[in-house]
Amino acid sequence: MKKATLLLLCGALVFCACRKDPVPEPPSKDADLTGQKVDVSGFPESARKLFVLNEGGMGANNATLDFLRFSDGNYVTGAFKKMNPSVGAGLGDVGNDIAVQGDELWMVVNNSGLVEVVSAKDETEIAAIAVPTPRNLAFDDQYAYVTSWAGAYANGSYDENGIYTITDSKNPKGQVYRIDLKTKKVAGNVEVGYQPEGVACYDGKLYVANSGGISSQLPPYAYDNTVSIIDTKSFKVTATVPVQVNLKYVYADGKGNIYVTTLGNFWDVHSGLYLLRPGQGNAVSKVADYVSASALLGDTVYCIGTETEFDWSASSHSYKSWSVQGGNKKDWTLNVSAKTLYGLYALDADTFFVSDAGDYFNPGTVSCYYKGAKRWSVDAGVCPGHFAVY
Amino acid sequence: MRKRAVIALAAALSAPWCLQAQEADTLAAASVWSVQVYPVVKPAESVYLPGAKAAPAQVADVLRRFTGVQVKDYGGVGGLKTVNVRSLGSEHVGIFLDGVQVDNAQNMQVDLGRFSTDGLAMVALYNGQKTKRLQTAKEYASGAAVHLDSVRPLLFDQDGGRARLRGGSFGTFQPSLQWDRQLGPVTLRVSAEGLTSNGRYKYPYFDTTLVRENGDIKSLRLESALFGQLRHGDWRVRVYGYGSERGFPGPVIRRASGFPFSAERQADRNLFVQGGWNQDWTSRYATSLKFKYADDYIHYNTHPEKNPMALPYDLHYRQRSGYLSLAQSLVLADPWSVDLSADFQRNALDSDAGQSVTPRRNVVTAALATRLAWEDFRVAAHCVYQGAWDRFLTPQAGGWTRENTFRDAWMPSFSLYYAPFRWLEVDAFAKRSYRLPSFNDLYYSLMGNSSLVPESAAQTGVDIRLEHTSGPWSFSGRISPYLNRIDDKIVAIPTSSQFRWTMLNIGKVDVAGLDVKADAQFWRKGWSVDVTLRYSFQRALDHSDPDSRTYGNQIPYIPLHSGGVDLCVGWEDWSFTWETVFTGARWSRTANTPDYYIAPWTVSDVSLFRKMTMPAFKNRAMLPELNAGVTLRNLFNHRYEVVQGYPMPGCNLLLTVEYSW
Repeated sequence: MKKATLLLLCGALVFCACRKDPVPEPPSKDADLTGQKVDVSGFPESARKLFVLNEGGMGANNATLDFLRFSDGNYVTGAFKKMNPSVGAGLGDVGNDIAVQGDELWMVVNNSGLVEVVSAKDETEIAAIAVPTPRNLAFDDQYAYVTSWAGAYANGSYDENGIYTITDSKNPKGQVYRIDLKTKKVAGNVEVGYQPEGVACYDGKLYVANSGGISSQLPPYAYDNTVSIIDTKSFKVTATVPVQVNLKYVYADGKGNIYVTTLGNFWDVHSGLYLLRPGQGNAVSKVADYVSASALLGDTVYCIGTETEFDWSASSHSYKSWSVQGGNKKDWTLNVSAKTLYGLYALDADTFFVSDAGDYFNPGTVSCYYKGAKRWSVDAGVCPGHFAVY
Repeated sequence: MRKRAVIALAAALSAPWCLQAQEADTLAAASVWSVQVYPVVKPAESVYLPGAKAAPAQVADVLRRFTGVQVKDYGGVGGLKTVNVRSLGSEHVGIFLDGVQVDNAQNMQVDLGRFSTDGLAMVALYNGQKTKRLQTAKEYASGAAVHLDSVRPLLFDQDGGRARLRGGSFGTFQPSLQWDRQLGPVTLRVSAEGLTSNGRYKYPYFDTTLVRENGDIKSLRLESALFGQLRHGDWRVRVYGYGSERGFPGPVIRRASGFPFSAERQADRNLFVQGGWNQDWTSRYATSLKFKYADDYIHYNTHPEKNPMALPYDLHYRQRSGYLSLAQSLVLADPWSVDLSADFQRNALDSDAGQSVTPRRNVVTAALATRLAWEDFRVAAHCVYQGAWDRFLTPQAGGWTRENTFRDAWMPSFSLYYAPFRWLEVDAFAKRSYRLPSFNDLYYSLMGNSSLVPESAAQTGVDIRLEHTSGPWSFSGRISPYLNRIDDKIVAIPTSSQFRWTMLNIGKVDVAGLDVKADAQFWRKGWSVDVTLRYSFQRALDHSDPDSRTYGNQIPYIPLHSGGVDLCVGWEDWSFTWETVFTGARWSRTANTPDYYIAPWTVSDVSLFRKMTMPAFKNRAMLPELNAGVTLRNLFNHRYEVVQGYPMPGCNLLLTVEYSW
């Protein structure tokens, strides 16, 4: 009894003592999670965590979320399931995009039809928003914008309970859904091109890469080749700009340059990076061919590609790296060794993360390259492909 | 006098169905004029079906209890069921109906859920090399083989028949009718079978329970066969038609509420005519001619208007194939015989999928076999050559061009049989076989790879059989160790887009296994008891890429241990069957980690049947019979998945009533 009183008193004293200092951050709920330990020395101090989204296999329900904690170098796998045991089904089927918005981590789970919002601090679920076949996302200060292939199959609308009902099944075009950052509810959608993929927001406009990935497999077997430009105020498409077939990612460098990647047509048009200049009447020019993985850091886009990209039977590829800044191609060397290069992320100009999907079926790896040299490699989930930093 | 003999025969045929396995004397010499020609090996497993009281409705259910066989089951009445023998993969398992391969050039997989046991006499599994007189060349060429054989109906009156009704859980209703008639020297059999089922069953969805949707099926089978007897020969012709319309419920994944798992539907139509003519020309020379023409149609639709998550496919496939086989057998000097068989097959696939590549394939298979067969010692050597010419459309700069490819392979094999004592038999075999890449592997799968080579399987194995009979007891046992190696395994790899896949010859698998079976039977005064224990050990290791971290791991879906127990008790007109199937721990990936672990499962089925003799309505040799029974499947309501994401039904009921005359 006496001991307890003493403890209480001590506790109160500590509490009082703390009140005078600036409030330190309480330990995060995920502080107990540990994993493989890696070297994080020299990483920027502004960042707390690197999130890795593992896509998983289609129909296997094995998308997973990993993170690397910069304070102690723990690489934690399967964090979503560990922090949300009540979500029995886990993160879901085919993770496709990931981004940090404030203290929230937004994830697109394509084949589950969900945009999953969790706390970036501890990965606990905040909201799961139903969006038909969502692909990629971007933000402004009011909304999240999610590209959707829904239009490839059907269009519908939401009732007040957020339940989706199909209203039109003939329209084959894709959509961009707008989600209110505060309410986490869908607040409208706009039709874009066929099977939209990447999206970026710059200066009150959204730039959406239309792929036609599904259209190409159905008569008349043609890819889309356009970027849809949407005005965020009116939420309407204001321009549609042809770039190249089968577009994939969009990057805005914040200085008026929009970069768009293409996967090529797997035949005679190769993958590559294209530049779109809104300030010059949406003029389009090619920067370079061969982009297998790309990443944006500040105003620079880093690219890694291979000339043998369509030779599926090649046992290994020789990758070339380069970067682009202000529309100009620059030298940048990163000698990656990967069986199946799948994702790239730039933490700062010295620190790059590269993911390897291996055989696509079994768990892949995430490697860290520091000052040009490979520093470590850890086991991730199946098809690690998307990164975000908090 | 004649009537008594008939009744005795009927009694012998009325044992519980699992007892029939030992009844068929598959090693009896063929009925050649004067020369005894023995088949060299016994099937690893076989079941004789006619007269069995409670034979399962589907061939897949019969195969499930064969040692060394894994039935891959996607659940439900209409769910795909394929068979994998000794880790070879279903593409290496030939399914033969009366000696003619049921083939599918599109994906090399045969859905065994579609085969009814109706009208079949025998289901037999050959692990190694079936080597019998007058085989087709294709029978020599498949890695493992399941033989479904019909027999000429045994009629004691001018006609006979059977009407059967099965029904039970999931709204299953399955009526069938079979009618046999003697028309002079020819026997005619006509049969029809319908099936409807709503496919709805409860399954655990993480922490709640859901009902499986979109798993309903409707099907109709119409079939007619003619069996003719000739002087020193016989012939048969079968005309078959099957149509079905079914839903695919899809894998169970996390899905936003309001979006269904699947709205996929498939309609099929299969038509074929096949026949054979066996003739002994002299006491030493015999021939067998077989033919088949098949026309199959599939319409697959993902129904995107009902499911916003579906990829929008509305595809039609029409596959036509023609097949002709001639086998000759010559006894050079008793017991030495030589067989020469040659087959020709043509497959044509037309489809609006995959940019209409319209592949055509011509396959020539030739087999030369030689056998030395005494009663207790038999050896055989076989050499098979297979050549396949493909012609398909391919996109080139400036349009489409026709392209040809050619693949061929030599497949040697050896078989040995030795019975040193009455109670001991030993079979051994060594074999290399190839399976051609399917049209899907080569030209579809969104990005087929037309440079694939055939996937090879090298197999060796020994079967040791023991038998002992004492009074009313009889015991038998089988121990079968084996080694398999699969090279150039065809593996699907996604490209830089998740929705485009390509195929590569990159897999290697080494399999070391052991099948063990023990059986004890007791017969006395109206009682029969049969207990069978089955165990299978399969170590199937991935040896594809030495640099991979999964090198040396167990391949997906193959359990290290599996087995089962069957108990059949017959008393007078009653029969009771208990069967338990056990599948040990498996992994869904080559990464054998806890994330991909699939828990072991054990499922027990139980059935009770009674046969009653009915008064004859005319002066007939055979008295009509009524057979009624109840089957409870998955008795303990065990929740399990054979294929991850495809939950199997819990406890379910099937009632059977049949009247035969």
